[in-house]
Amino acid sequence: MSQPSQSKQILYFSAAFGAGGLLSLMVLFNGTLAAYGSLFFASWVPHLTGTVAALLFLIILRPKRAEVKRPPLWVYLGGVSGAVTVMLTSATLNSALALSGTIALGLAGQMVFSLFADMRGLFGLPQRTPLRRDYMALALIIMGSLVLIFFGSGS
Amino acid sequence: MIWFASLAILAGVLVSLSRQINGRLALSTSAMESSFWNHIVGLVFITGVALLVGGLFAGEPAAAPWWAYFGGPVGVIFIAAGSWLIARIGAAQTALLIIAGQMISGVVLDIIMGAPGQLWARTLGVALILAGMWVAHGGRAKG
Repeated sequence: MSQPSQSKQILYFSAAFGAGGLLSLMVLFNGTLAAYGSLFFASWVPHLTGTVAALLFLIILRPKRAEVKRPPLWVYLGGVSGAVTVMLTSATLNSALALSGTIALGLAGQMVFSLFADMRGLFGLPQRTPLRRDYMALALIIMGSLVLIFFGSGS
Repeated sequence: MIWFASLAILAGVLVSLSRQINGRLALSTSAMESSFWNHIVGLVFITGVALLVGGLFAGEPAAAPWWAYFGGPVGVIFIAAGSWLIARIGAAQTALLIIAGQMISGVVLDIIMGAPGQLWARTLGVALILAGMWVAHGGRAKG
């Protein structure tokens, strides 16, 4: 893979790790909504409040556009894929897979497809070949996650 | 069972797919604009499906605590961060480090909220994840 400088790499790693922390909060907030309302509602509310929040951020921060030219239409469809994810997981949560099985298989699907996408440079993103170290890191982090998913909670 | 397992795997694939498409949009626009489109397109889609299927306001949503409604703004920053990172460190490293952060913060949240859990599993899981992050980092540093 192309190697970003040491300090930039620490910034990227910390940002991604911090984003994972935000994801935990989202799961807690949205999961609490689902405990009171429907699963649709638990996905509909964060999309609604998120749209308003993103609009406010755009108005306040006014980020520069990278290109004047409009990108192809399909790049606007990431939200559909995200919304379908919510529906799929709500179906599997109530199956024999339960929460731990749903999360574990989801991690597997996510990592295999991410590696494939990197190797091919799918969707106009930079192509990169994972190193042996990347596979070692992958094995350790997935093993640790599986231990937490299957043995970390009281059940 | 195989049917549900395939759905769960597909859900993971779609998480990565969504991040790649949003990352591509961020390359042409900005990470925050990409996050905006992700949310508004998802909102329109969910509203459409909910109108077809019904039951959007079933249960007692009004009884939920006020803070549960703040998943949206948190998600905006989460999606923007993913869109920004994927073009810089790749889909696999972005996914792996987000998973590491989610797992470790999950343990911290569980401890804060007093959720029952086994100490050996929490210690071993967190140690393996930290070791994995150290290996990923070392790989980069030696180039």
